Amino acid sequence: MLIKLAWRNLWRQKRRTLLTAFALALALFLSLFMRSMQEGSYEHNIDNSARFSTGLIQLQSPEYATTESIEDLLPGDDDFIAPAKALPHISYALPRIESFLLASSEERSKGVLVYGVRPQLESDYSGIEDKLVAGRYLTPGAQQVLLGQGLAEYLKLGVGDELVLYGQGYHGQTAAGVYPIAGILHFPLAQLDNQLVYMPLSAAQGLFSTGKQVTAWVLHSDNLDEVAPLTERLSALYGDRVKVRDWQSLAPEMAQQIALDRAGGLFMICLLYLIVGFALFATILMMTLERRREFGVMLATGMARLTLLRLVMFESLLIAALGTALGLGVSGVVIGYFYYHPISLTGETARMMLEMGWEPVMPMKVSLALVRNQVIIILSLMALCLIYPLWRTQHLVVVAALKGGDDDQG
Amino acid sequence: MTIAIQALTKIYNPESDFPVAAVKSLDLTIAQGEFVAIMGPSGSGKTTLLNMIGGIDSPSSGAVFIDGEDITHLSEQALIAFRRDHVGFIFQDYSLLPVLTALENVEFVMQLQGHSEAECRQRAMALLTQVGLAGQQDKIPAKLSGGQQQRVAVARALAPRPRFVMADEPTANLDAKSTAELLDIMQSLNEQEGTTFIFSTHDPRVIARAKRVIVFEDGCLVEDRRQ
Ligand SMILES: Nc1ncnc2c1ncn2[C@@H]1O[C@H](COP(=O)(O)OP(=O)(O)OP(=O)(O)O)[C@@H](O)[C@H]1O
Ligand SMILES: [Mg+2]
Repeated sequence: MLIKLAWRNLWRQKRRTLLTAFALALALFLSLFMRSMQEGSYEHNIDNSARFSTGLIQLQSPEYATTESIEDLLPGDDDFIAPAKALPHISYALPRIESFLLASSEERSKGVLVYGVRPQLESDYSGIEDKLVAGRYLTPGAQQVLLGQGLAEYLKLGVGDELVLYGQGYHGQTAAGVYPIAGILHFPLAQLDNQLVYMPLSAAQGLFSTGKQVTAWVLHSDNLDEVAPLTERLSALYGDRVKVRDWQSLAPEMAQQIALDRAGGLFMICLLYLIVGFALFATILMMTLERRREFGVMLATGMARLTLLRLVMFESLLIAALGTALGLGVSGVVIGYFYYHPISLTGETARMMLEMGWEPVMPMKVSLALVRNQVIIILSLMALCLIYPLWRTQHLVVVAALKGGDDDQG
Repeated sequence: MTIAIQALTKIYNPESDFPVAAVKSLDLTIAQGEFVAIMGPSGSGKTTLLNMIGGIDSPSSGAVFIDGEDITHLSEQALIAFRRDHVGFIFQDYSLLPVLTALENVEFVMQLQGHSEAECRQRAMALLTQVGLAGQQDKIPAKLSGGQQQRVAVARALAPRPRFVMADEPTANLDAKSTAELLDIMQSLNEQEGTTFIFSTHDPRVIARAKRVIVFEDGCLVEDRRQ
C-alpha cells in the first residue's frame, strides 16, 4: 500500500519527477561513460606499454630494484619459473638480461642498454620484430645484435657491420665482445631508439658471464585486474629470495600520470553530482514541504510517524531508481556500442600510437565495479538529500501542519 | 464510552508577553452516542478544544479522560494508535489523499489498523453506499464535488469503527443541499453505529439538527443545552 501510494505521489508532479530522474540519469550516464573510457584507455595503455617494456609484473633479485646491477640475478631455468607459469591468468613469462654497456664502432662510442631476450618469445609478446627496418630478426642462440636506428646512425653502423660491446659482467668479470649487426629496429621514442641493443639471451648470458641466470623474469597477465592478487600470490610463492614488482613499481611515472588523470575525472564527476544533488535535494524537499498539511492529516488519522518517514523515503528511492534505471539503460546502449566499436583516435596521438605498433583507439572498459560505484554514489547522494526532509517530517507538529502554519513553532 | 474533560486549559505562548488562553479551565462530559455541536464566535477556542479531545494537541493543564483513561499523558506513539483506533477526523476542506480513489481513501486507515484486504474492501464499499456514493468508488477526489468529497471523508472517518468522530466545521465549504445531505448521513450513522459525533460549526442549520449544543465564548462554556 505504501509503495502504491509513493508511486502515485511521484506522478502528482510529473514534470518535476521526470526532470529530476533525467538529471540523475544524465549524471549517471556521463560519469559512467567517462569512467569506462578512462579505465578502458588506461588498460589499453598499460597493457601496450607493459608489452613494450617492463611487463606487468617482474620477478627480480631483492637487491636489483635499487642496484640495477648485473650482480643481482635470478635463476633463468624453467624449474625456477614453472610455479609462476602454473598460476592462473599468467599468459607470458619471459627471461631477460638487462644491463648497461659501452658500445663502440670504429669512430664513436656510447652507453647503451643491452637486452638479452628469447627472440621468439619476445617477438610474440612485444611485437618487436615488426619494428625491424633493415636486416633480419634475431636467430635463437646466435651471436648477433639488433640496434635502434638512432644508435646505428650515431655509431655510423649498418646491417652486417660489427658492434663492439664493453663493460662489466657478473662477479666483476669483464664483459666484452664483438657482434655482427643482424638488423636495425626503429622505435618511435628517441630515448629508446638511441640506446637499445637486443641480443639472444644465451649470447647475453655468455657476454655477462651470468651462466644460466637472468636479471628479471617478465610476467604478463591476461587481465589487468588480476595483477594485484597475482603479485601477492607470487610474493607468497617465492618468499624472500625474489622481489615481485608490479607495473606501478616498474613504471612509476605512468602510474602517477594515470592516478592524476583519474583524480581529474573523479573531480569532474563530483562537480556533476554536486549539481544534480542540489536538484535532487530541492525536489525531495519540495515534495515534503508542499505536502505538510497532507502529512498532518495522515498523522492525525493514525499513520505512525515511522510509516510516514518510510513513505518519504520510498518516494525518493523511486525517483533515484527511475533515474538509475534510465541512466543505466542509456549507458548500456552507448557504452556497449563503443565497446564493440571503439572510438578511433586521429591526429598526432594516433600517429604516435600507430608508430608504437598500438591500435589508435580508445576502448571502453565494461565493468560491474564501475556501475556499482555509480549506483552507490547515487544512493549515498539520495541518503544525504533525505536527511533534512526526513528531519522536518519527523518534527512536523500535527496541529500546526493541519492549520497550514509553520511547524517550527509549538 | 464517555469523554470526561476536567479543568482543561490551553494557553498559547505562555512564556510571551501576550499569552492567549484559548480554552479556560473547561469541564465537560460527553456520553457515548451523542450528537454534539460546539458553536461560538471565531477565535472562541472550538478548534483548540476539538484538537485536544482528538489527541492531536496537548493541553497546558487539565485532563481528557476517555473511558477513564487520561489521554493527555499518552506518549506520541500511544496517541497515534489511540487516534487510529478510536477517533475519526473530518476536516473542513475534506483533506482526502488526492492520489487515492474514494474507495482507497476509505480503506486507508483500516489498512493502517491491519485489517485484511477483503474486510477493508467490504466495509469501505458498505460505507460508500451508505453515504450515497455507490458507483463513484473508483474516482479520485479531484473528480468529485465538494459535497461528495466530504461524504467520502465521513465514510473514511467511520471506516475504522472509531468511538467518536471529530468534525471541525465540516459543512463550512458546502452549499445548503450538500449540508443537508451530509447532516442526514451523519445523523443516520450516529444512530446506526452509535458513534459519538462532535462537531464545531457556525452554521445555524447544523445547530438546528444537533441534539446537544455547547456554546463557547472566549474559551469558556457559556451554554450547554439539549434539544
Ligand atoms: N498556534 C497558535 N498560537 C497562538 N495562538 C493561537 C494558536 N492557535 C490558535 N490560537 C488562538 O487561540 C484562540 C482560539 O483559536 P481557535 O482556532 O481554537 O478558535 P476557533 O473557535 O476554532 O475559531 P474559528 O471559528 O475561527 O475557527 C484564538 O484567539 C487564536 O488566535
Ligand atoms: Mg476553528
